[in-house]
Amino acid sequence: MSRSCKLFFAFLSIVLMIGVCACRMRFAVAQTGQPESKLEAANKAVEQAFRAVFDAEQAGANVTGLLARLNVAADLLAQAEIAVRNGDSSVGAKADSVLSIAGEVEAATVAAKETVVVTSRNALWITFAFSVEGAIIFALALFLVWLRYKKSYIKDLFDAKPEVNG
Amino acid sequence: MRLDDYRVVFAAVGLIGLLLIATPTLSAFLQLPSGEKFSELWVLGPGRMAEGYPFNVEAGQNYTVYVGVGNHMASSVYYVLYVKFRNQTEPLPNSTDGTPSPLPPLYEYRAIIPDGEVWEASLTFSFPHVSRFENECLVEALAINDVTFAVDKPAMWDVNGTGYYYQLFLELWIYSLESESFQFHNRFVGIWLNMTG
Repeated sequence: MSRSCKLFFAFLSIVLMIGVCACRMRFAVAQTGQPESKLEAANKAVEQAFRAVFDAEQAGANVTGLLARLNVAADLLAQAEIAVRNGDSSVGAKADSVLSIAGEVEAATVAAKETVVVTSRNALWITFAFSVEGAIIFALALFLVWLRYKKSYIKDLFDAKPEVNG
Repeated sequence: MRLDDYRVVFAAVGLIGLLLIATPTLSAFLQLPSGEKFSELWVLGPGRMAEGYPFNVEAGQNYTVYVGVGNHMASSVYYVLYVKFRNQTEPLPNSTDGTPSPLPPLYEYRAIIPDGEVWEASLTFSFPHVSRFENECLVEALAINDVTFAVDKPAMWDVNGTGYYYQLFLELWIYSLESESFQFHNRFVGIWLNMTG
């Protein structure tokens, strides 16, 4: 092997070693940052799920069961937050559970909200239709009563015998 | 009574009747003003009563209190309850400004509470490591619900109260959908502790 070849391989080895070291360093950095980012994702997931539950509740859906499920996620999230604050970085499993539960709750909430929106819209239309019909029937009935009453009032007036005093 | 008077009576009856018939539809569109919105926060003693709170505490002993939150905010609310620990010189939350204590939280509870309902949890605490030097006491660690936190909190001997005083307090934070973040709800409660042993 020529001297230039040896130099080339030596240079290549050094470049490869530096590359491996750099990769390891990046990996280590990623490992350190993982619990916080997972926790942030879990926080966002619970907040989004809560917003969905809130919207569904405002739309009139029964969210009792969904809230109970979301409370399990919130409790796990609190435990993960405490662990990270206390220097424990092994919160991945808890954060994953939170993400999973919050995702389930959000999906269930969206479905519940859609159902309740359709139901409440139909109920509103039925109520509106009954109100309009009721109002028309009531107004018509009252008008007929008024006509009948007016007629009898005028008849009574004509039938009345005037008496002249004096 | 003249015919015109009867006409007025019929018109009034008609108007009232129409309003009554339209009430179900109107109620879907009209928002009546709701009552005052507020949250409750409390600490109860070991018997779940407002009595028997731990006061004279010793290292290595477990003490239990109950914390509770009541929601009267007219909708479900996502709460965070931060547990903090301070000595007499450290600041409490400022009720006037509505700002929380700058002390870092140790423990926390999270709960999503429906409107009109309450949430309660137990808080068991102990002091695994406490040191004494002449007229100074140092709480090195505080355990809350089996999680130990390094606190390193000194307290000087209080001549007036004759003790080493600390306070374990809880701040109530609320998730704001508008700002998409937790905000201090200007509610806090605490119990005073005298480190006797």
